[in-house]
Amino acid sequence: MESDEELIESANKGDAEAFETLYYRYRDWVFRLTWRFTGNREDALDVLQETFAYLLKKLPGFQLTASMTTFLYPVVKHISLTVRRRSRPHVSAEEALSEIAASASEDTPDVRAELAAVLRGLPEEQREILLMRFVDDMSMEEISSALNIPLGTVKSRLHNALHRLRQNHRARDYFLE
Amino acid sequence: MIERKEHYDEDSGLSPKFSEDLNTLFKPHLSVPPEVDRAVLDQAHRHLTRSCKPRRPFRWAASIAAAAAVIIFAFLFNIAREPTAETARETAQDTARKHTFRTARKPAPALVSSVIAEAQVDIDLNGRVDILDAFKLARHVESTSTDRTKTNLSLQKQGWDINGDGLVNRNDVDLVASAAVRLDKGVL
Repeated sequence: MESDEELIESANKGDAEAFETLYYRYRDWVFRLTWRFTGNREDALDVLQETFAYLLKKLPGFQLTASMTTFLYPVVKHISLTVRRRSRPHVSAEEALSEIAASASEDTPDVRAELAAVLRGLPEEQREILLMRFVDDMSMEEISSALNIPLGTVKSRLHNALHRLRQNHRARDYFLE
Repeated sequence: MIERKEHYDEDSGLSPKFSEDLNTLFKPHLSVPPEVDRAVLDQAHRHLTRSCKPRRPFRWAASIAAAAAVIIFAFLFNIAREPTAETARETAQDTARKHTFRTARKPAPALVSSVIAEAQVDIDLNGRVDILDAFKLARHVESTSTDRTKTNLSLQKQGWDINGDGLVNRNDVDLVASAAVRLDKGVL
């Protein structure tokens, strides 16, 4: 399997198939992220297209200096917030999360709805890092690069988020101790 | 809330179920429609075909080379038309021949005076050719035309028919005058 760097190099040379491979490799990851930021399927699809259009504009001549997720995350976040402000200017991040939790609770057990409620209680910067780590499967270094904050800040925010969850009786079951 | 500077420990006692439930919670219920895939990939194909098609780095170079070729051609063409030393000499000789032919048919006074002998125009025989010679000849020509006793033939016998046309008249005076005022009359 070709690496992201190899695919980018091929796409820089005009290889549309390389871009297609890259697209299908990260399409679902990007869509899940846009869905989480916008809380709306139509907006999420718009952001998905705009994100890859942004990547296209970088070609040719794009140099991948970090991981692909590190590059894509701030792009998706910025476009998502822009689209959300444009389409639904009064919806906050917490309200978007509530919409997601509400739609999820329709076909998921109550315990996951409980989890959504617990997440809404976290400060936004802690929740963001928690989700980047456990949903987006990003490493600490990738989170640090994507958010352009020190690695120590990432670790401390994640620690505090987990500490809060541990203190919450509704999330206590997720901890082994 | 004040963040504590404690580092996250991967072995923090979290159940794998935490990650599973989070992924379920944030997993979109519907997948990306094929139309969106097609739109993105069509756009990619268009963009990559347009912006990554083989560039023509020599496009400007070709234009410059063409212009240079025209200039060089024009330069060489002019060089070919410019006379060499040999052709210049031949051309000069041709020109001289034509000029000589023209002057032979209708000699100009100045040209004739350059070939006449100094003694021939030294009318007063003082050893110099000057304007006085022309003046003296003019007086004689004038007196001949008014005094019928002096014939033009007598003037011819004195050798004053400078241009050799059989008559001594103003033309001969002009020749003497021209010889008198010539800058290079020393070579006469």
